[in-house]
Amino acid sequence: MNSTISSPAIQSRPQLAHLLRDYGIVIAFVVLCGVLSAVNENFLTWGNWVNILRQTSINGILAIGMTYVILTKGIDLSVGSILALSGLVTGSLVTGSEPHSAFVGILAGLLVGIALGAINGLIVARLSVAPFVVTLGMLSVARGMTFIYNDGMPIANLSKEFRFIGQGMVGGIPVPVIILAITFFIFWFILKYTTFGRYVYAVGGNERSAKTSGISTRWVVFAVYVISGLLSGLAGQILAARTTSALPQAGIAYELDAIAAVVIGGTSLSGGVGTLSGTLIGALIIGVINNGLDLMGVSSYYQQVIKGTIIVAAVLLDASRKKQS
Amino acid sequence: MRLLKLAAMTLAISLAATGSSLAQDKKTYKIGAAVYGLKGEFMQLWANALKEHPLVKNGTVKVTVFDGNYDALTQNNQFDTMVTQKYDGILFVPIDIQAGAAGVEKAAEAKIPVVGSNTRVNSDKLTSYVGSNDVIAGEMEAESVIKAIGGKGNVVILEGPIGQSAQIERRKGNQNVLAKYKDVKVLEMKTANWSRAEALSLMENWLTAHAGKINGIIGQNDEMALGAIEAVKAKGIDPKTIPTAGIDGVTDAVRAVKDGNMVSVLQDAAAQAQGGLDVLMRAIVGPNYKPQSDIWTKYSAQGLSWGDGTAKHYNIPWTPITKENADAMLAARK
Repeated sequence: MNSTISSPAIQSRPQLAHLLRDYGIVIAFVVLCGVLSAVNENFLTWGNWVNILRQTSINGILAIGMTYVILTKGIDLSVGSILALSGLVTGSLVTGSEPHSAFVGILAGLLVGIALGAINGLIVARLSVAPFVVTLGMLSVARGMTFIYNDGMPIANLSKEFRFIGQGMVGGIPVPVIILAITFFIFWFILKYTTFGRYVYAVGGNERSAKTSGISTRWVVFAVYVISGLLSGLAGQILAARTTSALPQAGIAYELDAIAAVVIGGTSLSGGVGTLSGTLIGALIIGVINNGLDLMGVSSYYQQVIKGTIIVAAVLLDASRKKQS
Repeated sequence: MRLLKLAAMTLAISLAATGSSLAQDKKTYKIGAAVYGLKGEFMQLWANALKEHPLVKNGTVKVTVFDGNYDALTQNNQFDTMVTQKYDGILFVPIDIQAGAAGVEKAAEAKIPVVGSNTRVNSDKLTSYVGSNDVIAGEMEAESVIKAIGGKGNVVILEGPIGQSAQIERRKGNQNVLAKYKDVKVLEMKTANWSRAEALSLMENWLTAHAGKINGIIGQNDEMALGAIEAVKAKGIDPKTIPTAGIDGVTDAVRAVKDGNMVSVLQDAAAQAQGGLDVLMRAIVGPNYKPQSDIWTKYSAQGLSWGDGTAKHYNIPWTPITKENADAMLAARK
């Protein structure tokens, strides 16, 4: 960029472009919120934002894992199915007259997520099968196992202790939102400040040169699917706790909203470029659209049209951004 | 216990592949049950009840359940399979009221009787239909909510997927009742696609948009009503202060009725499945066939009658779920 040129007249235009390029999604988000608060007086209330954040937490957590995967040029279609199986396994442990502690239940659910993510990662990294195919297979396998696990029936009567992670409040903030915030911070830190984080970008940017520079690309690819599996499991816990029962049909098509959040947030599907803060804003945009249109009483059919339009617009923005640089 | 089951899954899959056909000396009947999808609890209850039918238990009838996966084309293909495999009869729960007719037609050409169950299909080739009238359920739930709010106030309606026969007819039932009460206003009416999670978010947003103004909630099925109740609870409101109704009688809903948090009516999946099989067997075996399921005696007081088993339509009555009968219902499922 020409930012070294001191003439203010020349400087202002690239700066605006710069601003749009780096913060386009933030500006879009602010504009969207501005419009919604102008047309609906309930939008900008604390209670409504508690709703939006709570409703965004599950997709937000899935999208964090998805960002890692997409940064390595991969994709994870199995998040919704892993979410459901993990929720059901946990559900089976924290129900009944003598439920296990929430800690044991959650741990088991997260382990299910990690295990399935590891299978994805192993096949992608070791056997070099396309991620799309591997995770498409897992989408079906994990969903089928979810139905087998409890004969397609939901598991109800989850212990109060467990439901706290979905329904509880701490200092006026819903627990799912706190979990999202902590998860975001941890994975934001890892991506930004650790060697592993840099490797994730390197693998997606140029796998061959990453390899020649000594990075164990297989290990990195394996790890991102484990992360995605773990976070799918975590999201499954929250969903089960929120709906007070583990539902085998939970999370169907959730991979699409997670991918949408990542893409709207500016992460490139061809890997190597993107940020977690972008993803978070992407997830919030989806949450805000759904919430805003519900508040205004707009049919859910329009919600789908609008969401789809924004996804494509975001990718167009991304493409024009690449052309510039 | 369940983990053991998970481990046994691989074994089960390989066993299923091998298959087993036990030679039996008496005549057995091959019946296909084409259901729209096994992802919801209701259809699970239906399929489980079918396998509990006396003729299935004693081996006279061999039932294969085909999961239509919520797709009309999949169901259509399954009809092709059942026709070429020469099934003796078909029980049909269609996903789509119109698209299902093609499969029925194909079976009719092959002289295979088809009995509809649970959801309707627009075909005159159907041997008979055993189901419950969704308009009546829509009326019952609207009536109970409106009565509970004293005949005036604001309600919201959570609808099923627009265009499905249950949604169309339950809405009609809702509106039949709403038309009688001029002081009841419908604040919002939107689909949550039968889903608890979707209804939860939608209701949270409505409680914000109409803070303090929603007096009653009409859910066109139990799942959505249950989601709405969670949203109400999350707002810190006692669900007993906002009367909520659902339909179907899924297990969680029966529990919620027991707790006094909602009202619901039981759609008897067992009666629809077992009654359907009896009517189908009558069409295959002939006038000598006697119905085997106990549902015919169970509902005889409410007007369900077998007759000679050849009626075009059998109406399974709805049973309001109450605190008194909830325990018995829950016990029957485990």
